[in-house]
Amino acid sequence: MSSSFRILLSLIAGIFFGFIAIIITCLLTATSFAEFAGEIRSPEIISAILLSLKTSIAVVLLALLFGIPAAYILATKRFKGKNILDTLVDLPIVLPPLVCGLAILIAFGGQGVFSRFDVLFTVKGIIIAQLFVASPFLIRSAKTAFESIDRDVMDAARTLGASEFYMFKKVSVPLARNGIASGVVMTWARALGEFGATAMVAGCIPHRTETMTVGIYMHAMSGDISASVALSLILMSFAFTTLIVFKYLGTIGDGNLGTWGAEAQ
Amino acid sequence: MGGRGAMIQLDGICKSFGENEVLSSLDLSAKKGEMFVLLGSSGCGKTTTLSVIAGLTKEDRGDIYIDGSRINDTPPHKRGVGFVFQNYALFPHLNVYENVEFGLKAGNKRSKRGGNKTEVKRALELVGLDGFEKRNPMKLSGGEQQRIALARALATEPECILMDEPLSNLDAVVRERLRCEIAQLQQDIGLTSIYVTHDQVEAMALGDRIAVLNNGRIEEVGTPEKIFYKPENEFVARFIGMKNIFEGKITALDEDNGVLQISTGNFDLTTVFVPSSVGTRVKACVRPEEIILAKPDRDTSVRSARNEIAGRITNISQNGPLMRVFVDVGGDEMSVDITRLAARDLGLNRGDRVLLTFKATSVHVIL
Repeated sequence: MSSSFRILLSLIAGIFFGFIAIIITCLLTATSFAEFAGEIRSPEIISAILLSLKTSIAVVLLALLFGIPAAYILATKRFKGKNILDTLVDLPIVLPPLVCGLAILIAFGGQGVFSRFDVLFTVKGIIIAQLFVASPFLIRSAKTAFESIDRDVMDAARTLGASEFYMFKKVSVPLARNGIASGVVMTWARALGEFGATAMVAGCIPHRTETMTVGIYMHAMSGDISASVALSLILMSFAFTTLIVFKYLGTIGDGNLGTWGAEAQ
Repeated sequence: MGGRGAMIQLDGICKSFGENEVLSSLDLSAKKGEMFVLLGSSGCGKTTTLSVIAGLTKEDRGDIYIDGSRINDTPPHKRGVGFVFQNYALFPHLNVYENVEFGLKAGNKRSKRGGNKTEVKRALELVGLDGFEKRNPMKLSGGEQQRIALARALATEPECILMDEPLSNLDAVVRERLRCEIAQLQQDIGLTSIYVTHDQVEAMALGDRIAVLNNGRIEEVGTPEKIFYKPENEFVARFIGMKNIFEGKITALDEDNGVLQISTGNFDLTTVFVPSSVGTRVKACVRPEEIILAKPDRDTSVRSARNEIAGRITNISQNGPLMRVFVDVGGDEMSVDITRLAARDLGLNRGDRVLLTFKATSVHVIL
């Protein structure tokens, strides 16, 4: 590589990284520590944080309950229409969250098929919106993990007398656990950061349906920048933790599964 | 029907994957306690056959019997068939003990008090890996991993065991050692086994009987002796390395002296008498290692030999520890295997005139 080309590359990359760094720094320096400390003691902020944690954890649990069987079926069974289901799972990932929110709104609204469930503008609505948008991340990650299990290993379990359920419990899930864990982390992060669908389905009702993201939006729009910033910084710290956990899970990927047995020594 | 003393029996098994017919009306019957080898090149349906017996692949048509009972609709985990895979297929998240114990736990709904220590220990002793219980199987050598896989399959005391090229991922030295051990173990336990391989040497060394598989169909079943020295058809003869196969016509029958004359058109062969008639078209086979090669000027011909054919060397190539000499005999080519030492002593060169001698008993006739 010629040196002038290298300089050009570094320059372009430098501009990009600089841009991101400056924007993040702006957020970090938008408030003083005293201001931040004051904000996070306010009941509204605390309730937003708790609501976000509560709904996102509920979403992760529900995603595990429904997503693991879905992922397992998609990864191990052959059936007609599998490709359609596969695409359906991925759809919420590429759809704009606002569109997802609108769809849920219609389905659960006055004329919708689920109209008898009273979820609009409630916490349940938040959970449904977040689940819809975030669960595909778990399904995708778990599916990939299930797919990467050696078929012979599963067949070995069968010939050794394992029923399909026993094998699922003792072979498939343990071997896919890194993939499932990454999926959980991604789903949780996505649920926590969800705004568009949540706002569509649950609205922006202070205290009642005010998640952290909704709070950031509401406070910013009403000119209360310091509350927005405080919530943003907390959200950022969650995101950062997620990133670290995710990278760690990546390094102990399936290739190193064998070391688990060594722990037993 | 079914059963009839056979431990494992397949009747007219058909299996296609899409357009590709892998098994076409395959019949097979392995006797109780026998080591039955399925020999064939890759893609001939060997693995699918095992997979069908174990219930891992659903047959399209045909019946499967184990010990007389039809098991077509029995799920794999209830068939009591042990399986040893080419790539070992050990559970990477479990240690050696847990791997071997897996089948004991999976088959038993109630967990036994005190676990399955005795059974696991006994299984590991069988394969000589007693004391490896706490080890991580993924950190062991290929040979050790396959022994664990074997112990794991044996621990459940299956009715029969299926082995799918268990040695083909191992290096030559380990392969040979483990082959002997498997043969010994199988004899000691007397467990009905079906062993799949593409390796003739392995088939010869292990099999009580060998079935040669071709295009999803069994070409021939017989003892190793029968398959290797008296194959029934040309495919089997070629597959097991009968290099010299010539088409010919029976020219004379001499029942009193127990001989038979065959002419290929290019040369004549004398062979052991088989009931047939003059004029019958046959195939005559001679194994390359059964032929003695001599220079015509030296008197080394073997007196008991009944065939002497003159020819000219067209090529010499290395064939493992042996030298393979290709000799043109009146338009046909004959392959002869001789030791390196013999080749050096004879001072063979391309174009040399040589004399090929072999016994009448060395000529096998396929009618």
